[in-house]
Amino acid sequence: MQSKKKELNPILEVNNLFASTEDLPILKGVTISVHPGEIHAIMGRNGCGKSTLSKIIAGHPSYTITKGEIKFSGQDIQSLEPEKRAQSGIFLGFQYPIEIPGVSNLEFLRVATNARRKFLKKEELDTFDFEDLVKEKLDLVKMDSAFLSRSINQGFSGGEKKRNEILQMALLEPKIAILDETDSGLDIDALRIVASGIKKISNHETGIILITHYQRLLDEIKPDYVHVMADGQIIKTGESDLALELEKHGYEWTDNFSKQYR
Amino acid sequence: MVSENLVKNVVSEPYKYGFVTDIETEKISKGLSEDTIRLISAKKEEPEYLLKFRLNAFKKWQKMKEPNWADIGYKDIDYQDIIYYSAPKQKEKISSLDEVDPKLLETFDKLGIPLTEQKKLTNVAVDAVFDSVSIATTFRKELAEYGVIFCSISEAVKDHSHLIEKYLGSVVPANDNYFAALNSAVFSDGSFVYIPKGVKCPMDLSSYFRINSGDSGQFERTLIIAEESSSVSYLEGCTAPMFDTNTLHAAVVELIALDDAAIKYSTVQNWYAGDEEGIGGIFNFVTKRGKCLGKRSKISWSQVETGSAITWKYPSCLLLGEESVGEFYSVALTNNLQQADTGTKMIHIGPKTKSTIVSKGISAGNSVNSYRGLVKMGSKAVGSRNYSQCDSMLIGDQAAANTFPYIQSQQPNSEIEHEASTCRISEDQLFYLQSRGIEFEEAVSMMVSGFCRDVFNQLPMEFAAEADKLLSLKLEGSVG
Amino acid sequence: MQIIEEIKKNELVGNPTEIQKICLNKLKLNPLPNVKSELWRLSNKSKFSSFLDYSHKNKESKIKLPYENESQNVVRLIIGENSIINLEGENYSIRKLEDSQIIDYIKKNISNFDQNDNWSDLLNHCLCSKKNILGLNISGNKIPPIEIFSASSSESFNAKTLIVFFEKNCKVDLSQINLGNQNSSLSQSTYLCLESNSSVNHGVVSYGENKSNLLNSLNIVQKAKSEYSLGSLHFKYNFARFELRINQLEGDAKTIIKGVQITKNNDQIATYTKMRFNGPNGKFDQINKSLADDKSHAVFEGAIIVPKIAQKTDASQLSRNLLLSKNAKVDTKPQLEIVADDVKCKHGATISQLNDEELFYMRSRGLTLSEASKLQLSSYFQEIIACIPIPKNRWDLLDKLLTEN
Repeated sequence: MQSKKKELNPILEVNNLFASTEDLPILKGVTISVHPGEIHAIMGRNGCGKSTLSKIIAGHPSYTITKGEIKFSGQDIQSLEPEKRAQSGIFLGFQYPIEIPGVSNLEFLRVATNARRKFLKKEELDTFDFEDLVKEKLDLVKMDSAFLSRSINQGFSGGEKKRNEILQMALLEPKIAILDETDSGLDIDALRIVASGIKKISNHETGIILITHYQRLLDEIKPDYVHVMADGQIIKTGESDLALELEKHGYEWTDNFSKQYR
Repeated sequence: MVSENLVKNVVSEPYKYGFVTDIETEKISKGLSEDTIRLISAKKEEPEYLLKFRLNAFKKWQKMKEPNWADIGYKDIDYQDIIYYSAPKQKEKISSLDEVDPKLLETFDKLGIPLTEQKKLTNVAVDAVFDSVSIATTFRKELAEYGVIFCSISEAVKDHSHLIEKYLGSVVPANDNYFAALNSAVFSDGSFVYIPKGVKCPMDLSSYFRINSGDSGQFERTLIIAEESSSVSYLEGCTAPMFDTNTLHAAVVELIALDDAAIKYSTVQNWYAGDEEGIGGIFNFVTKRGKCLGKRSKISWSQVETGSAITWKYPSCLLLGEESVGEFYSVALTNNLQQADTGTKMIHIGPKTKSTIVSKGISAGNSVNSYRGLVKMGSKAVGSRNYSQCDSMLIGDQAAANTFPYIQSQQPNSEIEHEASTCRISEDQLFYLQSRGIEFEEAVSMMVSGFCRDVFNQLPMEFAAEADKLLSLKLEGSVG
Repeated sequence: MQIIEEIKKNELVGNPTEIQKICLNKLKLNPLPNVKSELWRLSNKSKFSSFLDYSHKNKESKIKLPYENESQNVVRLIIGENSIINLEGENYSIRKLEDSQIIDYIKKNISNFDQNDNWSDLLNHCLCSKKNILGLNISGNKIPPIEIFSASSSESFNAKTLIVFFEKNCKVDLSQINLGNQNSSLSQSTYLCLESNSSVNHGVVSYGENKSNLLNSLNIVQKAKSEYSLGSLHFKYNFARFELRINQLEGDAKTIIKGVQITKNNDQIATYTKMRFNGPNGKFDQINKSLADDKSHAVFEGAIIVPKIAQKTDASQLSRNLLLSKNAKVDTKPQLEIVADDVKCKHGATISQLNDEELFYMRSRGLTLSEASKLQLSSYFQEIIACIPIPKNRWDLLDKLLTEN
């Protein structure tokens, strides 16, 4: 099965990427390539550059790429605005989804969904059609429609915020979804809801990158590849059993790799 | 920062209502004297008491000094260089709208306020004021069936003189302040509303003010009386052409609410604001005040202020009746070199009176946006409450936001609460919206209207949409 | 207004110092502040003139201290009475400033004075003789707490000045006690200069007796990384004005202000604060509480000024007021003036009375109304009084004074 996937062109290619913020180097040569249908996990300690990598792929203005490239569907996306990246199918599930007081969640979801649909040359949805669509997706993440009338993430619990992220992913139907610590701060029930949401959305056309430093999400969603990151580099890549090894030995175990790698 | 410059570009939008209507007008010569006032009064065939009211106000005005206490700087106004009466030339008596000069109808059409029978707005009665005079009022017959009087104040002087004599100047006395005194001396036209006892006005009433000539001031006067257990929602809109001189607009609005009556007064003010260098634009110095005379009466002001070079405006409530309620909801957006000093006064006189103030100021460019408000609890205001919330949003690092709440209490059994905060559009919020595919401009305008939501919720439906549109127009750069 | 007459006729002091001459010249033409200006419009006119009604020429009597100096561990200074101070400890030193340093410092300040904004200091410098200016330079750490007294004598108008320079890295508790005698007026002007990395824990307790008046002006300048925290208490004055001006010269400093004012009878006590940030990353946290009873009048006006240069300022201000009688009056005006866009500023104000529900709850447990009220009031003040750096044993007297009624 894996060999079949390899025949397709990668959705996302990150080649020897170096990046910094305020002159502080964070990424020091990251290479990763994601094909349709693949699930990748990136693991590593806090501060190893996992979140930075995800934000750079989504186009966060605070980071500067100093070397290397990011290709999406074969195109270099470095000069694209974040909204253009989102419209073309890159989705970032935030570790800390921000609260935006006053802006209605429903309106936000509708505008975002239509921006993506416009890009896909699909018909834009009016309020009524959109409500039908969103209600259907709400079930995926077991959310109440009352969430829709609230302001974006305002007053949401940690779990509600994460479910709202997955709901957005379900609506935007991205080609690649990068989920940054979507599992952190969730109790086991919420984790299952989120995981099953991700599973339902994923298909053989979508690539998924799960960023985490715990095994528990990977118990629910089995990754095809596991990458271990330390100090701005990927120091080891393996299959799903690598995550289990990591769980068993702890991150100290990886310190040896980094030494070897250097 | 990149995004900051973008935000700045986004908030500069050309003024859409800057055209001039080419129409023959009747203007009196520039300057202000007792003779000017007698001339205006004579043109309007006013009764003796009104002339006296005007002359009395003029005498007081001459003794008063122009205020300079507000946080505002502007060139001296030459009061002898203003035309105090300007009206489009029309037939003597107009019996129906069809006789109104088509140019005028076309002007209002262009402003989105169609007046003709076929095109008029279906659920709002409109009084259209062009320079110094009211040119048309729609739905008069329909309203008359309910006993509601909605006409220009000049007509009211002729047809409902007893009401004018009784109430004019009863809320804003002629000597209240410099600009109110000037208005009382020279006011030309404006709207008059009377809602009889027990009547809920069947539709929203609206006045649309248009300044057309560059050298005449506009001094309109609005008077709204809501009898016992009646209610009305009144809307006001304003635009003006682009001139490189400053035009003075000094209006007075008086509201009176008797027992159990409710008046909701909403304004969308979009006078010409001047250009990027601060040349031209309207000086908007208005006095708006409501008197909650009756028990359980309620006066609610909501305003969206986006225009004018200078705004100086404090819609206020005198809460006399027991359990009467005053409300003030305001959004003020300033850009370029605009200055706004706006807020409210809530004067609690009667017992168990309540007031709420929600003010949202957005400053962009080099503008200055100040909230100035007074909450006063008199010694008899037992059990009264006030809650105020003033939030400012700053866009760019050249804009200024000031908050000056004056709070006074002489009544221990009353509560006053004031909260204020300042924020900016954070880069992380912008990025979040953008990362979901929402364009930068739309993201900014979404956040601005989210910031103003508490106030927009208070506007009548049609108006809320218009206000939202107006803000996003002001906020859209390339579009429009 | 005897003192003003004395200024006008130039018969205030026989042999004026250089500073007194400069200030007299400034005040001679225009001896009073503009009573219509924002800073003065709420001042009770007749009380203000009674403040100025005492003569400056009366002899000063020795100050009667409210408590003995029991602890050897406290450095006690009395403005006008201590002539030589030079304390050198293992890790610290407290030295008296040279006369020339004092003169230079005051002259530098005067040159920027505004007739209206700094009227209180101008008046002070006009009247304050050389003997009544205390100047200190403090450096080091493990410094014993310092206690400075200032007082007015009966039937007279006294002016006292305090200038303290806190050197780099110094850390100290400083308390100032201003005492008002019967029928007297005190003008106290204080200047504190905090060098970078210094940390000052400042307490100001001012209380008077029958018909005493106070004009207390406190000027703070802070360099980067300094920390200034103030706990203040003003009560028992016929007329008192507390003016507090703080300037974070380079931003990046921390300022915490907690103040209480209590007015009873026919008193008027007003607090004016102005916080200015002249650099980025400044922090400011203020709470001012007032309690107005009987026919008294409490005033609070606080301004926070954040110019463009002061990005990333984080400031908050809260004004809480309790109105206990229907003849009392509270005026409050917390204001923000902001030009920088990347700042967090908020302010709030409330005026209310004691919480009925809480009172009822305590009464239902057997407390009398007055006991319950006292408990509530003391919890109302506790937050602020807790920050005044005065040794516990010295609080007995204040506790007694506070619970007197």
